[in-house]
Amino acid sequence: MKRRDWWVIGSYVVVGVFLLWVLVPIVTVALNSLKSPQDIFSSTPQLVFTPTGDNYGKVLGELSFQTFLVNSTIVALGSTLLSIVVGVPAAYALARLPVRGREWWAWLILFTRMVPAVALVVPMFVIFQRLQLLGTYTALVAAHTTFNLPIVIWMMRSFFEELPRDLEEAAQVDGTGRFGAFLRVALPLTSPGLAATGVLCLLFSWNEFLFALVLSGRETQTVPIGVASFIGTVSVDWGGSSAAAVLAMIPVFVLGLAAQRFLVRGLTFGAVKG
Amino acid sequence: MRNKGLGHWMLAPALLLLLALIIGPLFYSAGLSAYSWNLTDIDLPKQFTGLANYTKLFGDPTVGTAVLNTVIYVVFAVGIELVLGFLVAAALFEMTKGRRLANAFILLPMIIAPVITALLWRYLLDPQFGLVAQLTGTSIGWFGDAQLALPALIAVDVWQWTPFVILILHAGMLSIGTEQFEAASIDGAGRPTIYRRIVIPAIVPQVMIVLLFRTMDTYRIFDTVFVLTKGGPGLSTETIGLYTYRTGFSYFDMGYAMALSIFILVTVVIISSVYIRLLRRREVLT
Repeated sequence: MKRRDWWVIGSYVVVGVFLLWVLVPIVTVALNSLKSPQDIFSSTPQLVFTPTGDNYGKVLGELSFQTFLVNSTIVALGSTLLSIVVGVPAAYALARLPVRGREWWAWLILFTRMVPAVALVVPMFVIFQRLQLLGTYTALVAAHTTFNLPIVIWMMRSFFEELPRDLEEAAQVDGTGRFGAFLRVALPLTSPGLAATGVLCLLFSWNEFLFALVLSGRETQTVPIGVASFIGTVSVDWGGSSAAAVLAMIPVFVLGLAAQRFLVRGLTFGAVKG
Repeated sequence: MRNKGLGHWMLAPALLLLLALIIGPLFYSAGLSAYSWNLTDIDLPKQFTGLANYTKLFGDPTVGTAVLNTVIYVVFAVGIELVLGFLVAAALFEMTKGRRLANAFILLPMIIAPVITALLWRYLLDPQFGLVAQLTGTSIGWFGDAQLALPALIAVDVWQWTPFVILILHAGMLSIGTEQFEAASIDGAGRPTIYRRIVIPAIVPQVMIVLLFRTMDTYRIFDTVFVLTKGGPGLSTETIGLYTYRTGFSYFDMGYAMALSIFILVTVVIISSVYIRLLRRREVLT
């Protein structure tokens, strides 16, 4: 065999081993969620077992995990919508319109990406307590907007900058004005990017833990709080918490794969086009 | 021009929201860090102590331990992720078929919530019924051992975030022009030479972006540590983010918690600025 072939074979081996490392923890939990306690608490891995839906029944029944799912959906949709409505026009302004101090504003928004959640959650807790908003959806939506809004602005700015300028100029000649050019030309042309941005916001909000831990109340706890409450308790219910984890992962996998092409751009704030 | 102010009108709501939600709370925090006050007596007048919380911070041995743990965590997690990520990205790059499919699976860990990731590993490394214990016949309590807890947390970070490194470095490799490789193969260069001369120099900007984002995010690590070890055993996995959280929401020492959160913020901004300056010099970030 040629040396080139060995490189290719070696590459498949490396990727294969890495995929195994990635998938084993996920598959293990997925299998646990379908196992009875006897099959989970065994000294050898039980690959052959009779699947049971008991864990899911319990999680969605007596543990009412769907409350967490509903709360997460409300908070994720709220913060995503707010971020898009406010962030998209701002992104367009930064990409295309004459704005005083444009670079300065762009850097301020980049700075917000550096602010650690823990630095915000302490003052936010005090502020929301004063405003009597602790434990409300409003507090969580506001907190999640602190990371989603900068992402929307930076991602959408990069999409708007990629549009050929002549299209919008042509629209202006037709008499629609600059806002019309934004609404009727730029926005439709970047709709795949906008969809991906929205999906990423939903994803980040869905996964967020610290703000939810501090700012949510009994009625508004999100999925990560629900899952965390299953771990580390005295009698750990492996089957139940595994079922909860699977229920939390399914929407994430659907959203993540839908936005796969833009995932890198979102995670790097538009710095890598991917 | 009739629409001269349009840009400002479109930008204003976003800037106001960012000011209200981020800049405002940060200033509030900086201001209140000059007071000594406990959450339990929120209605009592706060005692102004000036920089006392900050002098306390620099003399606090727990802060020293937490910073040291955090630095170890950052250096090892980011270092391993970079090396492993480069290896897998290069392997993907060499593959002739199945790249997209492999990519779809590789990205899964980084879109899972860190809390769920913690749960996966909590069960995988369980000393009695975890897969690792079952397969090796050992019973090591990874997260309960003062020597092993930090390495185990680093492994969890590597599992979750190496995919991020792979995707970025792989994207960088794909953007290299094919004519460069053709020229090199005409010269009879082998794979090692091609990587050393062409691939690695071409992906330097992507490597720096990886370093920036991974450093920034591992430095503030919270979720997995909170769920898996709560900083223990003892202080062996205490990180600066966790200590801040505990100071505020377990000890209710809000003035000190705010000083700690300002400390985290300032150090993150300093570290990031160094990276960003380097990136700008290479015109990666505009």
